[in-house]
Amino acid sequence: MLAHHLSEAAVSVELETEGMTLNIGPQHPSTHGVLRLVATIDGERATDVRPVIGYMHRGYEKLAEVRTYPQITTIVNRIDWVSGFANEVPFIVAAERLMGVEAPPRAQWIRLVLTEMARISSHLVFMASYPLELGAATPLFFALRERERVLDLLESVTGGRFHPNFNRIGGVKPVYAAGPVTKKAGMDIPAAFLAETRDAMDKVESTCEEIENLVAGNEVFLARTKGVGVIPVEKAASYGVSGPNLRASGCGFDLRKTSDYLPYDGFDFDIPTGENGDCWDRWWVRLEEIRQSARIIRQAIDGIPSGPLQAKVPRIIKVPAGETYVRAENPKGEMGYHLVSLGGLGPYRLKIRSASFSNLSILPWILQGALVPDFIAIMGSIDFVLGDVDR
Amino acid sequence: MKLSGLRNLRPPKLGILSGMRVTFTTMLRTWAFNLSGGKVGLRSTVNYPKIKEMPVPRARGVIALEQDACTVCMLCARSCPDWCIYIEGHKEIKPPSRPGGRPRARATLDRFDIDYALCMYCGICVEVCPFDALFWTPEYEYSEYDMGPMMHDMDRLQDWMKTVPEGLGAQS
Repeated sequence: MLAHHLSEAAVSVELETEGMTLNIGPQHPSTHGVLRLVATIDGERATDVRPVIGYMHRGYEKLAEVRTYPQITTIVNRIDWVSGFANEVPFIVAAERLMGVEAPPRAQWIRLVLTEMARISSHLVFMASYPLELGAATPLFFALRERERVLDLLESVTGGRFHPNFNRIGGVKPVYAAGPVTKKAGMDIPAAFLAETRDAMDKVESTCEEIENLVAGNEVFLARTKGVGVIPVEKAASYGVSGPNLRASGCGFDLRKTSDYLPYDGFDFDIPTGENGDCWDRWWVRLEEIRQSARIIRQAIDGIPSGPLQAKVPRIIKVPAGETYVRAENPKGEMGYHLVSLGGLGPYRLKIRSASFSNLSILPWILQGALVPDFIAIMGSIDFVLGDVDR
Repeated sequence: MKLSGLRNLRPPKLGILSGMRVTFTTMLRTWAFNLSGGKVGLRSTVNYPKIKEMPVPRARGVIALEQDACTVCMLCARSCPDWCIYIEGHKEIKPPSRPGGRPRARATLDRFDIDYALCMYCGICVEVCPFDALFWTPEYEYSEYDMGPMMHDMDRLQDWMKTVPEGLGAQS
Protein backbone atom coordinates (compact mmCIF):
# COMPACT_ATOMS: atom_id res chain seq x y z
CA MET A 1 0.00 0.00 0.00
CA LEU A 2 2.78 2.33 1.00
CA ALA A 3 4.85 1.50 -2.07
CA HIS A 4 1.92 2.35 -4.25
CA HIS A 5 1.74 5.72 -2.56
CA LEU A 6 5.39 6.55 -3.12
CA SER A 7 5.31 5.75 -6.80
CA GLU A 8 2.38 8.08 -7.16
CA ALA A 9 4.40 10.81 -5.48
CA ALA A 10 7.28 10.19 -7.86
CA VAL A 11 4.97 10.68 -10.81
CA SER A 12 3.71 14.01 -9.53
CA VAL A 13 7.29 15.32 -9.28
CA GLU A 14 7.72 14.77 -13.00
CA LEU A 15 4.82 17.13 -13.72
CA GLU A 16 5.50 20.34 -15.53
CA THR A 17 5.68 23.12 -12.97
CA GLU A 18 5.30 26.78 -13.65
CA GLY A 19 8.47 28.86 -13.44
CA MET A 20 8.59 31.40 -10.66
CA THR A 21 10.00 34.86 -11.16
CA LEU A 22 12.32 35.84 -8.37
CA ASN A 23 13.55 39.37 -7.93
CA ILE A 24 16.98 39.51 -6.41
CA GLY A 25 17.87 43.01 -5.46
CA PRO A 26 18.09 45.86 -6.29
CA GLN A 27 21.11 45.34 -4.14
CA HIS A 28 24.22 43.29 -4.03
CA PRO A 29 24.65 40.97 -1.11
CA SER A 30 28.02 42.44 -0.31
CA THR A 31 27.35 45.99 -1.43
CA HIS A 32 29.56 46.18 -4.47
CA GLY A 33 26.84 48.49 -5.66
CA VAL A 34 23.24 48.13 -6.66
CA LEU A 35 22.26 45.33 -9.02
CA ARG A 36 18.93 43.68 -9.64
CA LEU A 37 18.53 40.20 -11.04
CA VAL A 38 15.24 39.01 -12.45
CA ALA A 39 15.52 35.25 -12.25
CA THR A 40 13.01 32.75 -13.52
CA ILE A 41 13.50 29.72 -11.36
CA ASP A 42 12.16 26.23 -11.53
CA GLY A 43 12.64 24.74 -8.11
CA GLU A 44 16.27 25.26 -7.25
CA ARG A 45 17.44 25.88 -10.80
CA ALA A 46 17.36 29.08 -12.74
CA THR A 47 16.02 28.86 -16.26
CA ASP A 48 16.54 32.47 -17.20
CA VAL A 49 18.38 35.29 -15.45
CA ARG A 50 18.23 38.89 -16.56
CA PRO A 51 20.44 41.44 -14.82
CA VAL A 52 18.93 44.90 -14.58
CA ILE A 53 21.65 47.50 -14.40
CA GLY A 54 21.69 51.25 -14.28
CA TYR A 55 20.95 51.92 -10.62
CA MET A 56 24.42 53.35 -10.17
CA HIS A 57 24.41 55.36 -13.39
CA ARG A 58 26.00 58.72 -12.73
CA GLY A 59 26.50 59.76 -16.33
CA TYR A 60 30.25 60.15 -16.19
CA GLU A 61 30.68 60.09 -19.95
CA LYS A 62 28.30 63.03 -20.24
CA LEU A 63 29.71 64.83 -17.20
CA ALA A 64 33.17 64.60 -18.73
CA GLU A 65 31.98 66.57 -21.75
CA VAL A 66 31.28 69.67 -19.67
CA ARG A 67 34.47 69.61 -17.64
CA THR A 68 38.06 70.52 -18.29
CA TYR A 69 40.75 67.87 -18.53
CA PRO A 70 42.18 68.45 -15.03
CA GLN A 71 38.68 68.16 -13.57
CA ILE A 72 37.96 64.84 -15.26
CA THR A 73 40.58 62.94 -13.26
CA THR A 74 38.32 63.56 -10.27
CA ILE A 75 35.48 61.85 -12.07
CA VAL A 76 37.35 58.88 -13.50
CA ASN A 77 38.61 58.10 -9.99
CA ARG A 78 35.09 57.16 -9.07
CA ILE A 79 34.30 54.73 -11.88
CA ASP A 80 35.73 51.71 -10.11
CA TRP A 81 36.14 53.07 -6.64
CA VAL A 82 37.94 50.02 -5.34
CA SER A 83 40.94 50.83 -7.52
CA GLY A 84 40.69 54.55 -8.11
CA PHE A 85 44.28 55.13 -9.07
CA ALA A 86 44.27 52.56 -11.86
CA ASN A 87 41.35 54.34 -13.54
CA GLU A 88 43.19 57.63 -13.81
CA VAL A 89 46.21 56.36 -15.68
CA PRO A 90 44.68 55.36 -19.05
CA PHE A 91 42.70 58.60 -19.26
CA ILE A 92 45.75 60.71 -18.56
CA VAL A 93 47.80 58.68 -21.05
CA ALA A 94 45.10 59.20 -23.69
CA ALA A 95 45.19 62.98 -23.19
CA GLU A 96 49.00 62.95 -23.19
CA ARG A 97 49.11 61.05 -26.46
CA LEU A 98 46.83 63.57 -28.15
CA MET A 99 48.95 66.42 -26.83
CA GLY A 100 52.16 64.70 -27.80
CA VAL A 101 53.74 64.92 -24.36
CA GLU A 102 55.25 62.09 -22.40
CA ALA A 103 55.58 61.89 -18.65
CA PRO A 104 59.16 61.76 -17.33
CA PRO A 105 60.42 58.31 -16.28
CA ARG A 106 60.15 58.94 -12.55
CA ALA A 107 56.51 60.00 -12.89
CA GLN A 108 55.78 56.90 -14.96
CA TRP A 109 57.36 54.64 -12.36
CA ILE A 110 55.42 56.30 -9.56
CA ARG A 111 52.27 55.68 -11.61
CA LEU A 112 53.27 52.07 -12.04
CA VAL A 113 53.93 51.49 -8.35
CA LEU A 114 50.66 53.11 -7.30
CA THR A 115 48.69 51.27 -10.00
CA GLU A 116 50.00 47.96 -8.72
CA MET A 117 49.09 49.04 -5.20
CA ALA A 118 45.59 49.76 -6.41
CA ARG A 119 45.55 46.28 -7.93
CA ILE A 120 46.61 44.73 -4.65
CA SER A 121 44.00 46.62 -2.68
CA SER A 122 41.29 45.74 -5.20
CA HIS A 123 42.16 42.05 -5.15
CA LEU A 124 42.34 42.11 -1.37
CA VAL A 125 38.76 43.39 -1.29
CA PHE A 126 37.88 40.35 -3.37
CA MET A 127 39.86 38.12 -1.00
CA ALA A 128 37.85 39.65 1.83
CA SER A 129 34.39 39.66 0.33
CA TYR A 130 34.33 36.43 -1.61
CA PRO A 131 34.78 34.00 1.28
CA LEU A 132 32.37 36.20 3.24
CA GLU A 133 29.75 35.72 0.56
CA LEU A 134 30.27 31.99 0.88
CA GLY A 135 29.93 32.16 4.65
CA ALA A 136 33.51 32.45 5.88
CA ALA A 137 33.92 35.67 7.84
CA THR A 138 37.49 35.28 9.09
CA PRO A 139 39.48 35.91 5.86
CA LEU A 140 37.78 39.31 5.66
CA PHE A 141 39.74 40.63 8.62
CA PHE A 142 43.07 39.37 7.35
CA ALA A 143 42.54 40.78 3.88
CA LEU A 144 41.15 44.13 4.99
CA ARG A 145 43.95 44.59 7.53
CA GLU A 146 46.46 44.22 4.72
CA ARG A 147 44.46 46.42 2.38
CA GLU A 148 44.53 49.14 5.00
CA ARG A 149 48.29 48.97 5.03
CA VAL A 150 48.46 49.36 1.25
CA LEU A 151 45.89 52.17 1.25
CA ASP A 152 47.86 54.00 3.93
CA LEU A 153 50.88 53.92 1.64
CA LEU A 154 48.77 55.20 -1.25
CA GLU A 155 47.48 57.94 1.01
CA SER A 156 50.93 58.90 2.19
CA VAL A 157 51.90 59.66 -1.42
CA THR A 158 48.70 61.04 -2.90
CA GLY A 159 46.68 62.28 0.06
CA GLY A 160 43.68 60.15 -0.80
CA ARG A 161 42.87 56.58 0.06
CA PHE A 162 40.22 55.84 -2.54
CA HIS A 163 40.35 58.80 -4.87
CA PRO A 164 44.02 59.73 -5.19
CA ASN A 165 43.70 62.31 -8.00
CA PHE A 166 47.47 62.38 -8.21
CA ASN A 167 47.99 62.08 -11.97
CA ARG A 168 48.37 65.20 -14.00
CA ILE A 169 48.69 65.53 -17.73
CA GLY A 170 52.44 65.29 -18.27
CA GLY A 171 53.32 63.51 -15.04
CA VAL A 172 52.20 63.32 -11.45
CA LYS A 173 51.30 66.18 -9.14
CA PRO A 174 54.58 68.10 -8.89
CA VAL A 175 53.96 70.75 -6.23
CA TYR A 176 51.53 71.50 -3.45
CA ALA A 177 49.93 74.55 -5.07
CA ALA A 178 50.63 77.54 -7.30
CA GLY A 179 51.29 80.17 -4.61
CA PRO A 180 54.69 81.73 -3.85
CA VAL A 181 55.30 79.51 -0.81
CA THR A 182 53.42 76.39 -1.84
CA LYS A 183 55.11 76.31 -5.25
CA LYS A 184 58.30 75.33 -3.44
CA ALA A 185 56.66 72.45 -1.57
CA GLY A 186 57.42 69.53 -3.87
CA MET A 187 55.03 66.61 -3.90
CA ASP A 188 57.56 63.87 -4.56
CA ILE A 189 57.06 60.54 -2.80
CA PRO A 190 57.70 60.84 0.96
CA ALA A 191 61.17 60.02 2.28
CA ALA A 192 60.13 56.88 4.12
CA PHE A 193 57.91 55.57 1.35
CA LEU A 194 60.32 53.18 -0.33
CA ALA A 195 61.36 51.46 2.89
CA GLU A 196 57.77 51.26 4.11
CA THR A 197 56.66 49.79 0.80
CA ARG A 198 59.31 47.10 0.94
CA ASP A 199 58.15 46.21 4.44
CA ALA A 200 54.50 46.28 3.42
CA MET A 201 55.10 43.98 0.45
CA ASP A 202 56.63 41.40 2.80
CA LYS A 203 53.53 41.64 4.95
CA VAL A 204 51.22 41.41 1.95
CA GLU A 205 52.95 38.22 0.86
CA SER A 206 52.74 36.67 4.30
CA THR A 207 49.05 37.58 4.40
CA CYS A 208 48.61 35.85 1.05
CA GLU A 209 50.08 32.82 2.74
CA GLU A 210 47.66 33.18 5.64
CA ILE A 211 44.67 33.60 3.36
CA GLU A 212 45.73 30.55 1.40
CA ASN A 213 45.97 28.56 4.61
CA LEU A 214 42.63 29.85 5.78
CA VAL A 215 40.65 29.34 2.61
CA ALA A 216 42.37 27.10 0.11
CA GLY A 217 42.20 23.92 2.13
CA ASN A 218 38.72 24.47 3.43
CA GLU A 219 36.45 21.67 2.28
CA VAL A 220 33.32 23.82 2.32
CA PHE A 221 34.97 26.50 0.22
CA LEU A 222 36.30 23.93 -2.23
CA ALA A 223 32.92 22.25 -2.55
CA ARG A 224 31.23 25.54 -3.26
CA THR A 225 33.73 26.79 -5.84
CA LYS A 226 35.30 23.83 -7.65
CA GLY A 227 33.48 23.14 -10.87
CA VAL A 228 30.93 25.87 -10.20
CA GLY A 229 30.31 28.59 -12.77
CA VAL A 230 32.65 27.28 -15.43
CA ILE A 231 33.37 29.78 -18.21
CA PRO A 232 35.04 28.14 -21.21
CA VAL A 233 37.69 30.32 -22.77
CA GLU A 234 35.81 30.75 -26.09
CA LYS A 235 32.69 31.90 -24.26
CA ALA A 236 34.75 34.29 -22.15
CA ALA A 237 36.35 35.78 -25.24
CA SER A 238 33.06 36.11 -27.11
CA TYR A 239 31.44 37.95 -24.22
CA GLY A 240 34.40 40.29 -23.86
CA VAL A 241 35.31 39.01 -20.42
CA SER A 242 38.74 40.30 -19.51
CA GLY A 243 41.20 40.50 -16.69
CA PRO A 244 41.49 37.80 -14.03
CA ASN A 245 38.22 36.21 -15.17
CA LEU A 246 39.62 35.61 -18.64
CA ARG A 247 42.94 34.39 -17.28
CA ALA A 248 41.14 31.98 -14.97
CA SER A 249 39.66 30.38 -18.08
CA GLY A 250 43.15 29.65 -19.33
CA CYS A 251 43.90 32.54 -21.67
CA GLY A 252 47.08 34.30 -20.63
CA PHE A 253 46.13 37.68 -22.04
CA ASP A 254 47.42 40.61 -20.04
CA LEU A 255 47.71 44.15 -21.39
CA ARG A 256 50.63 44.79 -19.08
CA LYS A 257 52.64 42.50 -21.33
CA THR A 258 51.29 43.69 -24.67
CA SER A 259 50.52 47.39 -24.26
CA ASP A 260 52.79 50.29 -23.42
CA TYR A 261 50.67 52.64 -21.34
CA LEU A 262 53.08 52.14 -18.45
CA PRO A 263 56.72 50.96 -18.64
CA TYR A 264 56.04 47.33 -17.73
CA ASP A 265 58.41 45.89 -20.32
CA GLY A 266 61.49 45.85 -18.10
CA PHE A 267 59.77 43.93 -15.33
CA ASP A 268 59.92 40.28 -14.56
CA PHE A 269 56.53 38.90 -13.61
CA ASP A 270 54.29 35.98 -14.50
CA ILE A 271 50.73 35.88 -15.72
CA PRO A 272 48.89 33.31 -13.62
CA THR A 273 46.28 31.37 -15.57
CA GLY A 274 43.65 28.93 -14.41
CA GLU A 275 42.71 25.64 -16.00
CA ASN A 276 38.98 25.15 -15.69
CA GLY A 277 37.58 28.66 -15.53
CA ASP A 278 35.50 27.89 -12.47
CA CYS A 279 35.03 30.02 -9.35
CA TRP A 280 38.00 28.39 -7.68
CA ASP A 281 40.33 29.34 -10.53
CA ARG A 282 39.11 32.91 -10.45
CA TRP A 283 39.85 33.07 -6.73
CA TRP A 284 43.24 31.48 -7.19
CA VAL A 285 44.29 33.72 -10.12
CA ARG A 286 43.55 36.81 -8.06
CA LEU A 287 45.54 35.53 -5.10
CA GLU A 288 48.47 34.81 -7.40
CA GLU A 289 48.15 38.27 -8.98
CA ILE A 290 48.58 39.90 -5.59
CA ARG A 291 51.90 38.10 -5.28
CA GLN A 292 52.94 39.10 -8.79
CA SER A 293 52.01 42.72 -8.10
CA ALA A 294 54.10 42.66 -4.96
CA ARG A 295 56.93 41.33 -7.09
CA ILE A 296 56.52 44.17 -9.60
CA ILE A 297 56.42 46.79 -6.84
CA ARG A 298 59.60 45.40 -5.29
CA GLN A 299 61.44 45.63 -8.61
CA ALA A 300 60.04 49.10 -9.24
CA ILE A 301 61.12 50.61 -5.93
CA ASP A 302 64.55 49.09 -6.29
CA GLY A 303 65.13 50.74 -9.62
CA ILE A 304 63.03 53.91 -9.48
CA PRO A 305 64.75 56.60 -11.57
CA SER A 306 65.28 60.11 -10.26
CA GLY A 307 64.33 63.20 -12.17
CA PRO A 308 61.43 65.58 -12.60
CA LEU A 309 57.81 64.65 -11.88
CA GLN A 310 56.25 66.72 -14.60
CA ALA A 311 56.92 67.34 -18.26
CA LYS A 312 56.50 70.82 -19.69
CA VAL A 313 52.83 71.44 -20.36
CA PRO A 314 50.98 74.71 -20.89
CA ARG A 315 49.31 76.22 -17.84
CA ILE A 316 45.88 75.99 -19.41
CA ILE A 317 45.55 72.55 -20.90
CA LYS A 318 44.03 72.36 -24.35
CA VAL A 319 44.17 69.07 -26.16
CA PRO A 320 44.58 69.29 -29.95
CA ALA A 321 41.82 67.91 -32.14
CA GLY A 322 41.96 64.21 -32.73
CA GLU A 323 40.89 60.94 -31.22
CA THR A 324 42.65 58.10 -29.51
CA TYR A 325 41.91 54.93 -27.64
CA VAL A 326 44.03 53.81 -24.72
CA ARG A 327 43.45 50.47 -23.04
CA ALA A 328 44.92 49.37 -19.77
CA GLU A 329 44.93 46.32 -17.58
CA ASN A 330 42.89 47.33 -14.56
CA PRO A 331 42.39 45.08 -11.55
CA LYS A 332 38.93 44.17 -12.81
CA GLY A 333 39.94 43.71 -16.43
CA GLU A 334 40.47 45.78 -19.51
CA MET A 335 39.71 49.46 -19.14
CA GLY A 336 39.71 51.73 -22.16
CA TYR A 337 39.10 55.38 -22.84
CA HIS A 338 38.11 56.59 -26.28
CA LEU A 339 38.89 60.27 -26.17
CA VAL A 340 37.64 62.57 -28.92
CA SER A 341 38.87 66.12 -28.79
CA LEU A 342 37.92 69.09 -30.94
CA GLY A 343 40.71 71.16 -29.49
CA GLY A 344 38.90 72.73 -26.56
CA LEU A 345 39.38 72.78 -22.82
CA GLY A 346 37.42 69.58 -22.40
CA PRO A 347 36.79 66.47 -24.48
CA TYR A 348 34.08 66.35 -27.12
CA ARG A 349 33.36 62.76 -26.20
CA LEU A 350 34.79 60.35 -23.69
CA LYS A 351 33.73 56.76 -24.19
CA ILE A 352 34.61 54.58 -21.24
CA ARG A 353 35.06 50.87 -21.75
CA SER A 354 34.87 49.52 -18.25
CA ALA A 355 35.85 46.01 -17.34
CA SER A 356 32.98 45.12 -15.05
CA PHE A 357 30.32 45.93 -17.64
CA SER A 358 31.64 43.32 -20.06
CA ASN A 359 32.37 40.87 -17.28
CA LEU A 360 28.84 41.19 -15.96
CA SER A 361 27.33 40.62 -19.40
CA ILE A 362 28.17 36.94 -19.15
CA LEU A 363 25.88 36.54 -16.13
CA PRO A 364 22.72 35.52 -18.07
CA TRP A 365 24.68 32.79 -19.83
CA ILE A 366 26.56 31.51 -16.83
CA LEU A 367 23.63 31.61 -14.42
CA GLN A 368 21.32 29.73 -16.76
CA GLY A 369 20.78 26.34 -15.23
CA ALA A 370 22.69 27.24 -12.09
CA LEU A 371 21.41 26.41 -8.65
CA VAL A 372 20.04 29.36 -6.74
CA PRO A 373 22.54 28.93 -3.86
CA ASP A 374 25.34 29.05 -6.44
CA PHE A 375 24.24 32.48 -7.63
CA ILE A 376 26.24 34.25 -4.98
CA ALA A 377 29.27 32.03 -5.51
CA ILE A 378 29.27 32.76 -9.23
CA MET A 379 28.45 36.46 -9.04
CA GLY A 380 30.99 37.05 -6.31
CA SER A 381 33.72 35.29 -8.27
CA ILE A 382 33.22 37.57 -11.28
CA ASP A 383 34.19 40.45 -8.96
CA PHE A 384 32.37 43.35 -10.49
CA VAL A 385 31.85 46.77 -9.01
CA LEU A 386 28.57 48.33 -9.99
CA GLY A 387 30.11 51.76 -10.27
CA ASP A 388 32.29 50.28 -12.96
CA VAL A 389 29.28 48.68 -14.67
CA ASP A 390 27.00 51.70 -14.80
CA ARG A 391 29.52 54.53 -14.78
CA MET B 1 18.17 17.38 -1.80
CA LYS B 2 19.23 14.15 -3.37
CA LEU B 3 20.17 11.48 -0.87
CA SER B 4 23.25 10.56 -2.87
CA GLY B 5 24.47 14.07 -2.18
CA LEU B 6 24.84 13.23 1.47
CA ARG B 7 27.21 10.43 0.65
CA ASN B 8 29.54 12.90 -1.04
CA LEU B 9 30.05 14.79 2.19
CA ARG B 10 33.41 13.79 3.58
CA PRO B 11 34.72 14.47 7.06
CA PRO B 12 36.79 17.67 7.31
CA LYS B 13 40.42 17.17 6.51
CA LEU B 14 43.62 19.01 7.25
CA GLY B 15 42.54 22.03 5.24
CA ILE B 16 40.24 23.21 7.97
CA LEU B 17 42.88 22.53 10.61
CA SER B 18 45.44 24.75 8.88
CA GLY B 19 42.82 27.48 8.75
CA MET B 20 42.17 27.06 12.45
CA ARG B 21 45.88 27.35 13.11
CA VAL B 22 46.01 30.78 11.45
CA THR B 23 43.02 31.97 13.45
CA PHE B 24 44.41 30.59 16.68
CA THR B 25 47.88 32.15 16.35
CA THR B 26 46.30 35.50 15.54
CA MET B 27 44.14 35.21 18.63
CA LEU B 28 47.18 34.42 20.78
CA ARG B 29 49.08 37.35 19.34
CA THR B 30 46.22 39.71 20.12
CA TRP B 31 45.93 38.38 23.66
CA ALA B 32 49.65 38.75 24.14
CA PHE B 33 49.39 42.35 22.99
CA ASN B 34 46.55 43.15 25.35
CA LEU B 35 48.06 41.40 28.37
CA SER B 36 51.56 42.80 27.92
CA GLY B 37 50.30 46.32 27.27
CA GLY B 38 51.61 46.37 23.73
CA LYS B 39 55.13 45.05 24.32
CA VAL B 40 54.75 41.79 22.42
CA GLY B 41 52.23 40.52 19.96
CA LEU B 42 50.16 42.41 17.47
CA ARG B 43 46.92 44.26 17.37
CA SER B 44 45.60 45.84 14.21
CA THR B 45 42.85 48.10 15.50
CA VAL B 46 42.51 50.97 17.93
CA ASN B 47 39.62 51.76 20.26
CA TYR B 48 38.51 54.69 18.13
CA PRO B 49 36.74 57.39 20.09
CA LYS B 50 39.18 56.95 22.98
CA ILE B 51 42.34 56.49 20.92
CA LYS B 52 42.71 58.37 17.68
CA GLU B 53 44.92 57.45 14.78
CA MET B 54 46.27 60.49 12.98
CA PRO B 55 46.13 60.24 9.20
CA VAL B 56 49.28 60.86 7.19
CA PRO B 57 50.24 64.55 6.88
CA ARG B 58 49.30 64.64 3.22
CA ALA B 59 45.81 63.29 3.86
CA ARG B 60 43.10 65.38 2.27
CA GLY B 61 40.79 65.78 5.24
CA VAL B 62 39.40 69.28 5.14
CA ILE B 63 40.33 72.55 3.44
CA ALA B 64 41.52 75.50 5.49
CA LEU B 65 41.29 79.13 4.33
CA GLU B 66 43.68 81.94 5.14
CA GLN B 67 41.28 84.87 4.78
CA ASP B 68 43.91 87.60 4.62
CA ALA B 69 45.68 85.96 1.70
CA CYS B 70 42.55 85.62 -0.42
CA THR B 71 42.13 88.20 -3.16
CA VAL B 72 38.68 87.05 -4.35
CA CYS B 73 40.09 86.02 -7.72
CA MET B 74 37.54 83.17 -7.97
CA LEU B 75 40.04 80.78 -9.56
CA CYS B 76 39.18 78.08 -7.02
CA ALA B 77 35.44 78.48 -7.48
CA ARG B 78 35.79 78.30 -11.26
CA SER B 79 38.05 75.27 -11.32
CA CYS B 80 35.99 73.23 -8.86
CA PRO B 81 34.58 70.19 -10.70
CA ASP B 82 31.25 70.39 -8.92
CA TRP B 83 31.14 74.08 -8.12
CA CYS B 84 30.79 73.75 -4.36
CA ILE B 85 32.72 76.93 -3.46
CA TYR B 86 30.65 80.06 -3.03
CA ILE B 87 32.53 83.36 -3.00
CA GLU B 88 31.28 86.92 -2.71
CA GLY B 89 33.39 89.98 -2.25
CA HIS B 90 33.52 93.73 -2.68
CA LYS B 91 36.13 96.35 -3.41
CA GLU B 92 37.30 98.46 -0.49
CA ILE B 93 39.28 101.65 -0.83
CA LYS B 94 42.31 101.38 1.39
CA PRO B 95 44.19 104.49 2.50
CA PRO B 96 47.55 104.97 0.80
CA SER B 97 50.32 102.89 2.31
CA ARG B 98 52.77 105.80 2.36
CA PRO B 99 52.09 109.54 2.52
CA GLY B 100 51.56 111.07 -0.87
CA GLY B 101 50.47 107.79 -2.46
CA ARG B 102 47.05 107.25 -3.83
CA PRO B 103 44.37 105.11 -2.19
CA ARG B 104 44.22 101.53 -3.45
CA ALA B 105 41.20 99.41 -4.12
CA ARG B 106 41.46 96.03 -2.46
CA ALA B 107 39.07 93.14 -2.88
CA THR B 108 37.63 91.93 0.41
CA LEU B 109 35.89 88.67 1.14
CA ASP B 110 32.26 88.81 2.18
CA ARG B 111 31.52 85.16 1.85
CA PHE B 112 33.66 82.09 1.29
CA ASP B 113 31.67 78.91 1.79
CA ILE B 114 32.66 75.36 0.93
CA ASP B 115 29.84 72.87 0.81
CA TYR B 116 31.45 69.69 2.09
CA ALA B 117 28.29 67.77 1.31
CA LEU B 118 29.15 68.35 -2.36
CA CYS B 119 32.94 68.50 -2.22
CA MET B 120 34.75 65.64 -3.96
CA TYR B 121 38.02 66.26 -2.08
CA CYS B 122 39.99 66.45 -5.31
CA GLY B 123 42.15 69.37 -4.20
CA ILE B 124 42.05 71.30 -7.47
CA CYS B 125 41.07 74.49 -5.61
CA VAL B 126 44.10 74.21 -3.33
CA GLU B 127 46.28 73.49 -6.32
CA VAL B 128 45.24 76.49 -8.44
CA CYS B 129 45.30 79.09 -5.66
CA PRO B 130 48.06 81.54 -6.66
CA PHE B 131 48.09 83.41 -3.34
CA ASP B 132 48.55 80.60 -0.76
CA ALA B 133 45.10 81.03 0.72
CA LEU B 134 43.89 77.41 0.69
CA PHE B 135 45.52 74.46 2.45
CA TRP B 136 44.72 70.85 3.15
CA THR B 137 44.62 69.55 6.68
CA PRO B 138 44.33 65.89 7.71
CA GLU B 139 41.54 66.69 10.18
CA TYR B 140 38.51 64.47 9.61
CA GLU B 141 36.11 64.83 12.54
CA TYR B 142 33.43 67.15 11.26
CA SER B 143 30.56 64.88 10.32
CA GLU B 144 27.04 66.17 10.94
CA TYR B 145 23.54 64.82 11.26
CA ASP B 146 22.20 67.31 8.71
CA MET B 147 23.31 68.56 5.34
CA GLY B 148 23.09 72.22 6.35
CA PRO B 149 26.06 72.40 8.75
CA MET B 150 28.25 70.72 6.15
CA MET B 151 28.47 74.18 4.57
CA HIS B 152 31.51 75.66 6.26
CA ASP B 153 31.68 79.46 6.25
CA MET B 154 34.85 81.51 6.05
CA ASP B 155 35.35 81.75 9.81
CA ARG B 156 35.09 78.01 10.26
CA LEU B 157 37.48 77.49 7.34
CA GLN B 158 39.87 79.96 8.98
CA ASP B 159 39.73 77.88 12.18
CA TRP B 160 41.02 74.86 10.28
CA MET B 161 44.26 76.78 9.64
CA LYS B 162 45.42 75.71 13.11
CA THR B 163 45.53 72.11 11.95
CA VAL B 164 47.61 72.57 8.78
CA PRO B 165 50.62 70.27 9.22
CA GLU B 166 54.19 71.45 9.48
CA GLY B 167 55.77 71.99 6.07
CA LEU B 168 52.33 71.39 4.52
CA GLY B 169 52.97 67.66 4.75
CA ALA B 170 54.40 67.83 1.26
CA GLN B 171 57.82 66.54 2.22
CA SER B 172 57.03 63.83 4.72
